[in-house]
Amino acid sequence: MEPILWFGWFRADIIAEYAMMFWRGLQMTVLVTVICIIQGTALGLAIGLARLAEARHSPARQLCRYLLRWPSTVYVSFFRGTPLFVQILLIHFAVLPLFINPTDGLLIAGETARNLKQNYGAFISGVIALTLNSGAYISEIFRAGIQSIDRGQIEASRSLGLSFARTMYHIVLPQAFRRMLPPLGNNAIALLKDSSLISAIGLAELAYAARTVAGAYSRYWEPYLSISFMYWTLTLGLAWAIKRLEARYGRGDTR
Amino acid sequence: MLLSFSLVALVAGGAQAQNKELVVGSSATYRPFAYESPTKEIVGYDVDIIKAVAQKAGLQIKIVNTPWTGIFAALNNGDVDLVISGVTINEKRKQSYDFTAPYFEARQLIGVNKDSTAKSLKDLAGKKVGVVTGSTGDDIASREFGKTSPDIKRFESTPVAISELANSGVDAVIGDNGVIAFRVQEHKQLKTVSDPNFPKEYFGIVVKQGNKALLDKLNAGLAAIKADGTYAKIYKTWFQSEAPVLPAQ
Repeated sequence: MEPILWFGWFRADIIAEYAMMFWRGLQMTVLVTVICIIQGTALGLAIGLARLAEARHSPARQLCRYLLRWPSTVYVSFFRGTPLFVQILLIHFAVLPLFINPTDGLLIAGETARNLKQNYGAFISGVIALTLNSGAYISEIFRAGIQSIDRGQIEASRSLGLSFARTMYHIVLPQAFRRMLPPLGNNAIALLKDSSLISAIGLAELAYAARTVAGAYSRYWEPYLSISFMYWTLTLGLAWAIKRLEARYGRGDTR
Repeated sequence: MLLSFSLVALVAGGAQAQNKELVVGSSATYRPFAYESPTKEIVGYDVDIIKAVAQKAGLQIKIVNTPWTGIFAALNNGDVDLVISGVTINEKRKQSYDFTAPYFEARQLIGVNKDSTAKSLKDLAGKKVGVVTGSTGDDIASREFGKTSPDIKRFESTPVAISELANSGVDAVIGDNGVIAFRVQEHKQLKTVSDPNFPKEYFGIVVKQGNKALLDKLNAGLAAIKADGTYAKIYKTWFQSEAPVLPAQ
């Protein structure tokens, strides 16, 4: 292919040559981000509630403490206290082979395991690592959001005969959610960017495409500037979506 | 006053240039060529070679661990003065950088599971192939299977690619003979396959294009250690075999 120069220095032909890889990479980045946002939010809600679990009488009291509060606290502490990059490597090279392994996988073994690992290995590990990691952060957002709702409301709701679950669902979470939206949005943007770390285990997403091009041509402006703009566009889109959500759920505030 | 200042600066600058410590970039995840010892020291075949060359050429050097993916960028922007990191001499790279005479004869080698029937690169068609991003193995696989083929899985370093092979994440890994052979013998279930069609290649020390002064010194040093037997000794230490005869250019 003939070198195509933009502005005299930007080799556009390199990007064009790898266009397919960038396109598939973009799709992969979006897919991973969407899955992890959904799973991370669900996990975060569960963990956040577990950290707040309380009961007055034994044995429920001890149960809450040892089976819910302690494990969830340790979980959050671990995943917030260790680098995501390390978690990705740990899960991909150490934890996952324990469960999915052609010779002696605990969960899946044999030919299925081989196929699964080869086609989706990096994807599975990356999604697990990113979900577990963002779940820890999101649980803190949920906890803070829930705790920010005046206790009196919960007491009032309970004394009116609503169960704990219904109190959460009808009274606390709708109000808390509004306060949680800005930090949740921040988290979603961070998650999108962090997905680039999964390229280290060979997942063909955006950063992987850029690294491939940089490796093949020893040129750095073209690939990394290109993906920077792609990431930027994606985060702008996310920020816009969050703003819309905030406006929608904030309507009650501005009467 | 101003003149005397600039004069001092000039003299100081000149003196600095004379004993200036040259920074050597090497990616220390490339055992046995360059790797970090438990005491954070960078050791290996490449390191021994460059130290011997520098001694003969009268150069002061400092070796800095530079990640492979950014190693040429580091050379371009002056972070390092030269690179010795198992860099294969090829036409594409020669367009952008200058190489010394060869200091290692490299072939590509395929690492596979023991039960694999693959005999050559062609047999890997349709299989997942692991390579190190931007390496010669990447080049070969890209040429054979297509640059954007999803069957090629690129990793940061050979050990990571080999771990992926050992975990059945890929069917094969293509890489430089020295490293693949070393890594494969660490895993019982793996073996190496040599494709006779792979060309013989050579590793060279890299400098910025046009840095003839440094290139000449390095070449002189390299010729000197080849002549006095230091080279053969270093080779034997790391590869347990006799050093091959290398072309002078």
